Amino acid sequence: MDFMFLVFASLAVLGGLVMAFHHSIVHSAFALVGALFGVAGLYWTLGADFLGGLQLLLYVGGVTVLLLFGVMLTTRDSARISTFRYILMAPLVGVLAYFMLRTLQGAYSAVASLGVTPAEPVPTAELIGEQFLDPTGFLLPFEVAAVLLLLVLIGAVTVARRGAGDANAASGDRGAA
Amino acid sequence: MSALTLAVAQAESVAADASVAAAPFNERLDAYLVVSGLLFVLGIATILTRRNALYVLMGTELILNAANINFVAFARFGGYGLDGQMMALVVVMLAAAEMAVALAIVLRIFHDFGSIDLTRTDGLRD
Repeated sequence: MDFMFLVFASLAVLGGLVMAFHHSIVHSAFALVGALFGVAGLYWTLGADFLGGLQLLLYVGGVTVLLLFGVMLTTRDSARISTFRYILMAPLVGVLAYFMLRTLQGAYSAVASLGVTPAEPVPTAELIGEQFLDPTGFLLPFEVAAVLLLLVLIGAVTVARRGAGDANAASGDRGAA
Repeated sequence: MSALTLAVAQAESVAADASVAAAPFNERLDAYLVVSGLLFVLGIATILTRRNALYVLMGTELILNAANINFVAFARFGGYGLDGQMMALVVVMLAAAEMAVALAIVLRIFHDFGSIDLTRTDGLRD
């Protein structure tokens, strides 16, 4: 498991690096696939088997396909990195990172001082299903998620379709822009 | 400058705490925190330095994943049972929903402005 952690962690970080600094957006999208796969592997090393599988299905299978469609349907723009923005944002990010590290260190020492030995990994799918249907557990988020997904389904179609509907009416205006 | 040295000192103290344990990486909370911190930083760097809206979306996904690793890792090493995984599941669901809506909006922006360069699409139109 030690070896697997190193493999998945380096896959995640390398994928993130390539995504952040590659000049081609298609390569960046595929690097993101690698990074998300690495994160799924990290879930597995943490004993979260169901979450890792879901990560593969939703992210590696779904989100990146959506992204690639987005790339195909839109991009002719530059994928170049703006060094000016980099310099502009560096102090802000530094201050933010400092406070984040402080908070994280506090949380880390709090958890480390608990001295909990991690439990032996067990299959989690059944337990997660029970949690999601337990009124004292996560039933409310589960139901809210159902409504939200319906909203997203309708909303995404509406937003994307409105462009197609307006095309005839506003084509002259679009040409001017 | 002093802030930087303080942060470095704190990072070293975190490392020192962990080296006492000397457990394999997958049983060490700090190993996961380092990975998630790196992913978070890379996501932030992507968002701040790119002008293409799709890159910003990709950076967001990376940041959400970094947060998820923290959820699961803290829950596992803090003895919180399944709570961290449940939160991570909700986050994954929200991220997928966000991605669908965001891509619809990106397509719409591309249709209206002929570009998804975020520095050029800052005007509101009727």
